Amino acid sequence: MTGIMTGFPSFDAATGGLDVRKTYLVTGNKESGKEDFSYRLAASSLNGKLSVVYVTNNKSNTDLLSEFTARSLNIAQYLGVSMTILDNYVRSIAPQAGDNNYTKVLNGPVDLTGLTVAVSSKNSDLLKDGRTVVNIFDSISSLLLYNNPVTMFRFLQYICGRAKMSGVTTVFLLDEQMHTPEVNETVRSLVDGIISLKLDNGKRYFTVSGVAKEVLTWTPLG
Amino acid sequence: MNDPVFGIGKLDDDLEGIPFKKVVLLSASPAVGNEVFGYQIIYNNAIHKNKVLLFLNRTSPQVYLTEMKDYDFKIDSNLVIIDSYSNLTGIKSAETATTRVINNPSDKEEIRKRLSEELEKGYDLVVFDSLSLLIDSFDFDFAVSMVDLVKQKLQTKDSSAVMLFTDWEYGENDINKLGTRSNAQIEIKGIEKRVIFGQYFAVIKCDWVKGKQFSSVLFKAVKPGGIKIYFPKILITGPTDAGKTSFIHSASKDAVSVDRLGGTIALDHGNLDFEGYKADLFGTPGQERFDPLLKLLGGEAIGVILIVDSTKPDQFPRAIEMLRKTETYGLPIVVVANKANLPGALALDDIRERLHLGKDAPLFQTFAEDLSHIDPNEPTKLKKEGVNGALRALFKELT
Ligand SMILES: Nc1nc2c(ncn2[C@@H]2O[C@H](COP(=O)(O)OP(=O)(O)OP(=O)(O)O)[C@@H](O)[C@H]2O)c(=O)[nH]1
Ligand SMILES: [Mg+2]
Repeated sequence: MTGIMTGFPSFDAATGGLDVRKTYLVTGNKESGKEDFSYRLAASSLNGKLSVVYVTNNKSNTDLLSEFTARSLNIAQYLGVSMTILDNYVRSIAPQAGDNNYTKVLNGPVDLTGLTVAVSSKNSDLLKDGRTVVNIFDSISSLLLYNNPVTMFRFLQYICGRAKMSGVTTVFLLDEQMHTPEVNETVRSLVDGIISLKLDNGKRYFTVSGVAKEVLTWTPLG
Repeated sequence: MNDPVFGIGKLDDDLEGIPFKKVVLLSASPAVGNEVFGYQIIYNNAIHKNKVLLFLNRTSPQVYLTEMKDYDFKIDSNLVIIDSYSNLTGIKSAETATTRVINNPSDKEEIRKRLSEELEKGYDLVVFDSLSLLIDSFDFDFAVSMVDLVKQKLQTKDSSAVMLFTDWEYGENDINKLGTRSNAQIEIKGIEKRVIFGQYFAVIKCDWVKGKQFSSVLFKAVKPGGIKIYFPKILITGPTDAGKTSFIHSASKDAVSVDRLGGTIALDHGNLDFEGYKADLFGTPGQERFDPLLKLLGGEAIGVILIVDSTKPDQFPRAIEMLRKTETYGLPIVVVANKANLPGALALDDIRERLHLGKDAPLFQTFAEDLSHIDPNEPTKLKKEGVNGALRALFKELT
C-alpha cells in the first residue's frame, strides 16, 4: 500500500507519504506552518481520492475554506462528497449556527462526547462506502485549553483506539508552546508518528519520527 | 401530575415509567450519542404536564431546544433549564422565567447552590445532560456529590431523576459509586468493529421492577421522531444467479421473494430464528439493472452474507462491487461459496485468494441438497451444514 501524499514533494520523497492507518502528531509553534501543512495534506488527500474529515476547533467552516482558497487549493468539488467539516468553533461566535451540506456544527471544546460521536459516525458512513479516510484535528491545542489533561487523555486515547480499529489515518495538530512538557509528552505517547515543523530564516523545515521511514535531521519542506 | 415516563416505548414497557424518588443512569459508550434519550424523556414529560428541570452543561439552551425541535419535540412550557454552559463560552445568556444562568460554570459552589435552590421548588423530573461533563470539568467526587444532592431532594419532593452519562472508562471504583447511587441503569452501546454498524440499549438494572427479563434492542435516533427500535437485519447479496434466494429459503421457513423467471426483481425476505438469534434476512437482486435498489436494501444492515457461485470467478469483482453499492463495506461479513459440488467449482483456497479474503475471513461452501431437483425458475434447497455454518459464523462476528 502506498502512503498518503502530503503535497510537499520533499516530504513525500523522503517518507513515502503518511502511512495509512497510522496516527500522527504535527507539532510546531505558531509560525511553523502546521496549518499550511494540514490544508495541503487535506487537498492532496482529496485529489488522491481519499475522504477527509476535518475537525476545526479554532476557526469556522467559512474561514477554513478561505484558507484553502487563499492557497489556490481548489477543493470545491469535494465538499459534501469526500470532504466533511466538523465545525467545533462557530457556535462560540454564532450560537445559532447550523449545518450545511458539508459541515456539521458541534457544541465546542468541552463537548468531547459530541465530537467523538460525530467523528465516529462520519467515519462509519465513509468506511461503509468503501472509502479510505483521513481525520484531521486542527488543532487539539484549543481542546487542551478547555479540558483538563486527564479528560483529554481519555478522549485522545479513545480516538486513537477507534482510528486503529477502523484503519483511519489520523492527524492531530498541536502547538507545543501552549502546553506544559508533561502534556506534550502525554500526547506524544499516544501517537505513532511525530512530524515536527519549524520556520528558520524564512524557510520551513521538517523532521519525522516514529514511523518506518524516519527523517531525523531538519530537512527543507517544499 | 403524572408519573414520569421515558416516552420510549420499549423502556416504558420494561420499566413502566419512573417512580418518584428514583434515579436512572443512562450510560453510553463514547461513540454513541445518548442525548436524544434526554430530548425524548423531557418532551414526553413536559407534554404530560410534568414539571421538568434540566441541568445543562453540554450546550446552550438555545441549541438544545433547536435540536429538540429537529426531532419534532416542541415544548413551550413545563421546562426550566439551568444553563451551566453559556458563560464558559462567549455566548450571552439572559436569565428568564425558564432559564437560570450559572455565572461561573467553573465554580462548584455556585452550581451546588443554584441547583439546590431550584430543586427546592419541586419538579416532577430532573434531567442532567451531562453527568460525565461534570466529572470531566471537575472531578468524580463532585459529580457524585451532585447525584447525592439530587437524590436527597427527590426524597422530600415527589420527583425522579435521569442522568445522562458517557462512560469514558473512568475506572471501576468510580463507576461503582454511580452504580450504587442509581436505582436503574440503562446501557447504550454501539456494535463496534471496523465501523459502528448498530447501536443498542438495554436495562441492566432496575430495583423497582421484579421478575422481568430485560432484553437489548437495536435503535436509531431519527429526525423527526426520536428513538426508533428496529430488528437486526442481515443482508444477503452477491452476483446474479449465485444462489441468494436459495440461501434465504433454505435458512428461513417463511421466506418470500419478489421474483420473475427465477430472478429476484425487488427483494427476498425471510425471518430467521436460529440457535437463539432472531433476525430479518433481506436478499438483494443480483442483476445490474436493479442496482438503484441496493443502497436502500443495505440500509440498517448489521451483517452481510456474500454469496458467490463457486464456478464463476469472473463474477467475483461484481460481488465486491455489490458490497460497495449496498454500502455495507466494513460490516461483519461471511462469504458463501455456493454451487460447490458442480463441475468446475473452485477450491476454497482459490476462492479466498481471488476474493482477496484474509486467511481468517469466514468462508463456507454450500450446495444443493438434491441435484436431481434443480428447476432453473425456482430457488433450490441448500444443504443444512453450509447454511448453518455461515449463520453461526456471522452471529459469532456480531456478538
Ligand atoms: N446446481 C445447483 N444449482 C443451484 C444451487 N444453488 C442455486 N441453484 C440454482 O441457481 C439458480 C439461481 O439461484 P437463485 O437462488 O435464484 O439465485 P439468486 O442469487 O437469488 O439470483 P438473482 O436473484 O437473479 O440474483 C436457480 O435455478 C437455483 O435453483 C446449487 O448449489 N447447485
Ligand atoms: Mg434472487
